Amino acid sequence: MKNFKRLALVALLSTVSGAALAQEKLDMAFTVHSASSNVFWQAVQKGYEDACAKIDATCQMVYVQTDGSIQEQVANMEAALARGPDALITSIVDNAAFDDVIKRARDAGVIVIAANVDDLEGAAGNARQAFIGQGFVAAGKSLGRAQSANFPAEGPIRVLVGVSAPGQNWSEQRALGVMNFLDEYKAANPTRDIKYERIDSGTDLAVVSDRIGAYLLANPETNAYFDTGFWHAGVARVLADRGIAPGKVLLGGFDLVPEVLEQMKAGYVQVQVDQQPYMQGFMPAMQVYLAKTVGLAPSDVDTGQGIVTPGMVDAIMEMSAKGMR
Amino acid sequence: MRRMLKLSLQKPEMAASLLLLLLVVFFQIRSDLVFLSYDNMRGMLGYLPEVGLVAVGVTLLMICGEFDLSVGSVFALMPMVMAVTMLGGWGFWPATGFGLLTCALVGFLNGWITIKFAIPSFITTLGMLFMARSITVVISGGFPPRLNMAEIPEHLFISYVGPGDLFRASFLWFVAISILVSLLLAKTNFGNWVRATGGYLPAAEALGIPANKVKIACFMICSVLAGLAGLFQVLRLGSPLPSIGEGLELQAVAAAVIGGTALAGGIGSIIGGIIGAVLIRVIDNGMVMSQVDSNWFKFAVGALTILAVVGNSWLRKRGRAMKVEVEK
Repeated sequence: MKNFKRLALVALLSTVSGAALAQEKLDMAFTVHSASSNVFWQAVQKGYEDACAKIDATCQMVYVQTDGSIQEQVANMEAALARGPDALITSIVDNAAFDDVIKRARDAGVIVIAANVDDLEGAAGNARQAFIGQGFVAAGKSLGRAQSANFPAEGPIRVLVGVSAPGQNWSEQRALGVMNFLDEYKAANPTRDIKYERIDSGTDLAVVSDRIGAYLLANPETNAYFDTGFWHAGVARVLADRGIAPGKVLLGGFDLVPEVLEQMKAGYVQVQVDQQPYMQGFMPAMQVYLAKTVGLAPSDVDTGQGIVTPGMVDAIMEMSAKGMR
Repeated sequence: MRRMLKLSLQKPEMAASLLLLLLVVFFQIRSDLVFLSYDNMRGMLGYLPEVGLVAVGVTLLMICGEFDLSVGSVFALMPMVMAVTMLGGWGFWPATGFGLLTCALVGFLNGWITIKFAIPSFITTLGMLFMARSITVVISGGFPPRLNMAEIPEHLFISYVGPGDLFRASFLWFVAISILVSLLLAKTNFGNWVRATGGYLPAAEALGIPANKVKIACFMICSVLAGLAGLFQVLRLGSPLPSIGEGLELQAVAAAVIGGTALAGGIGSIIGGIIGAVLIRVIDNGMVMSQVDSNWFKFAVGALTILAVVGNSWLRKRGRAMKVEVEK
């Protein structure tokens, strides 16, 4: 009888703990290479947190203190991993630095999804299971192609490509995409005099304004400036200050922030590529949920190379105010 | 004549002034005379008050023997406080006053913690660098609030003024504040106390100088100037991004050092700090104009910092060694 009671108690306990386990919240961490002061990432975080609220998961977004610091991001991943999460979501801004920690996470049974930036070698580069983000080279090409419709119909074409963060995958690849397109454009228009240059433009609105402003003075024949981020919004202000009409120097870049949208309305920025950051936060969390509850394998999602033009600004501004665009 | 030369050589800002002159001539030639053109000067003079004011504050504090690494974060915090409070229904002036008060509080805390717990200001302000940046992001809610420019008296801050609209109103603020702080340092008891406190603290205290109060005042001036500079930038660019001013602290320290301010305190001049800030801007701008590979920008600023300090030390030694007749 005594043994029977003991057996019943064990059975009851295991049933209760099993049920508790089944209801245990999913735990995930999202580590990024950016500092929290970069406004782009706030839309990613909003998407991530909204998704986490829907699936009732415990989620943490971990920024670095120094923008772009790979070693800090690796340390953050290590710390997150030590907590034993169900999933690790991370941007992969370097082709080698993250390989080891990702492998250890996978070996420990943690789901690993790359978001926003991927290894240049894609899935072959490390053990991550999927990439959710923009194809940067393709996006750069899309931007170049869209802006080329505004190039002058005749005469020489001079283009400046601003690399916001030299050496970082996202910036270099976007610039590469733009330059690849310009090479193709050149080949398709052999009779036209087309040249382009690249510059370290920076990631501070004031610095970018000053540098590109100086370049445009020294090279007044420049027709177009491409930025690998959203900092050309400052260049638009410089042009306005100098009394240069919108469209005289074409401006285009990536990501939608309020200042860019305003300059699009003013006519200074003609084309912008939207990588839909809200989706980059939302989808990884959802994929983790599906993997854990239904057993679906995480898969790649291209969050877009959507070209945004001035006519679309009003609708986007409304969503931007809600932190979703 | 020889006496004047001796005195000039011993001035802390001499090496930087000579370098500035050389670089301006060099870039003017290299850029096919575009460097000193009206449009480029207009652009540089628009940016200068922002970095210049931060350099003025940091120079004053360094002469007093302390550091402030939080200026870049305070630069972003002040306009964010202003923008958020304006969004909450405050008028421009109360919001600006509140923003500047916040900066003064940050400066006070920097000074008070440094003195009360006898820790290096390098550490206190390094901590404040992170805390102030974090508060900026938190109060912005992650997304930069839009400024209602209609409520802002632009003519007092950023509108073009002066001959041929060459500079903005912010430049006048910068000149006026620089003169005021220079006079404060050169012509008042407070200035003497600052130099004495930074020069040799035990002696200053033995002389009855309220060194702690002097330091706290310098921390507060430094923070308020950084906040004001941030306000100018945000009004000029129209967007209170929480990321502005990142890395500005090192640029400001470099400007002060290039301008002849001693790291140990006691020696330096406001004009030196301003010349240092101008030099950094000239290099950045001039290298773009001269189409130098931009990957060399940081190298140039680093090399310049070393060159200016070595030059200063050499000129000072030459000045000291120079013999002049003593008037009888």
